[in-house]
Amino acid sequence: MLSRRIYQFFIIYFLGITVLFLIKYVLNLSDYVIPSPLEIWQTGRHVFIRYLVNVIDTLSIAVLGHLLSICLATIVGIVGRLTIWVGSFIRVAAYNIQAYPIVAVAPIIFILLGDGLSSRLLITAMICYFPLLLSFIGIFSEPVTEIEHFYEATMRMNWRLQVKIRAFENIGKITTVIVGSGTLAIVGTIVSEFIAANAGIGHSIRMALYQSDLAKILVALFLIGICTSLYLVCLERLGLVVQKRLQST
Amino acid sequence: MSKNMLLECRDMSFKYPGSTAEVFKNMSYRISGPGFHALFGPSGVGKTTLAKMISGEIKGFSGDISMHAIRRVLYTYNLERIPGWSTVGVHLETTTPESNKEKINQLVSSFGMEACINSRFSQLSLGQQNRINLARYLLQEFDLLIMDESLANVDEVTKENIILMIKAAFPDRCFLYISHNVAEVAKFCKQILVLRSQHKSPQTLSILGQNHSNTKALIKQDLEHTMLEVVNAF
Repeated sequence: MLSRRIYQFFIIYFLGITVLFLIKYVLNLSDYVIPSPLEIWQTGRHVFIRYLVNVIDTLSIAVLGHLLSICLATIVGIVGRLTIWVGSFIRVAAYNIQAYPIVAVAPIIFILLGDGLSSRLLITAMICYFPLLLSFIGIFSEPVTEIEHFYEATMRMNWRLQVKIRAFENIGKITTVIVGSGTLAIVGTIVSEFIAANAGIGHSIRMALYQSDLAKILVALFLIGICTSLYLVCLERLGLVVQKRLQST
Repeated sequence: MSKNMLLECRDMSFKYPGSTAEVFKNMSYRISGPGFHALFGPSGVGKTTLAKMISGEIKGFSGDISMHAIRRVLYTYNLERIPGWSTVGVHLETTTPESNKEKINQLVSSFGMEACINSRFSQLSLGQQNRINLARYLLQEFDLLIMDESLANVDEVTKENIILMIKAAFPDRCFLYISHNVAEVAKFCKQILVLRSQHKSPQTLSILGQNHSNTKALIKQDLEHTMLEVVNAF
């Protein structure tokens, strides 16, 4: 699983680099526009440790934000499954709000909360929260009639049992959605850092952009790709463990 | 009290929301006394709909359903499943009321399911799944149990043993047995309610079955006669 993801990332990354070099040499662009392989290598050696620390910083915010959004989406999804007005209100609100780009709201968050940890965390959580919420609402609102019927008929059904049945029956879907939103969490963190934060790999990319230093950006992208692959593999493994444990208890 | 059991429906009409076709039109019938009663008819005639109306799962119909000495109605169908997080034995243990817990082993044994008690529902065959599903309903408190194809995919010999066992173990309860097997309903049920299409009048016909049990022998000619009556009632 790990080797497959890393392998895929290497293929895509080096294909991208190859295309860049092709453009550079076909159009005879200067090293200022697209740096030479040697310059990228030297920049890599120079900034590797600093960027690695930055990527780990970004990844830790992404993991925290991801956890926060999973918890929030679970709670709101459980309430949103209700057939009474609160449920309908939450469903309609979720569908409408998710259509609004969170990145556009990010400057307001930075103005109100500053450029520190809380802003990065909030934007990360918000970016992966809505896709999670929509999936959770869909899963928790869909009755599993062939199992639930017995509990309804014998008047044993309560909200915890209902959520447990629906979550258990859709554990594969839930795992897929959580793994999928892991990428969004990392993207969200980098975007928030890129917009205004004072730390993280997004912030480093912004600095490199101001210096028009493509070599630094390419090194940052390489580290982001490796760390994202590792995080997604961890999530997939965790999902498999949870599924196996649920099926064997 | 159980001998006075009565389920009576008067002038029932129903159509599904958004549909123009009526499933029932001014339909009336009555079922009385404990024992096995059958609901019989061709596919799509409305047997499951009627069962759900009796159990209260479908509302919004006109007419009246009245019950006497029937307080608790349960409806079960053959596609139901047990949650995958527990074994069959654990599920039965946790869902059976305290007063019926001692019946679990006896019921599981007479259903021929001892070997499956530690298995998960998904590991069972369709026939075993249906038997376990029926067993868990029989372990509940009920006065009327509607069994919608509950013994589908079960072989004839096992099915016969189960029905005879139910009749012997629950003599004071009322069962409404939905099946497409004419021989089965004619043989085991005391009253067969044949549901016909709404273009026919009356929409229901009541036919006396052979009500075969461990204490009542079966006369082959009478069974054939009942089967003919049921088939001709379509």
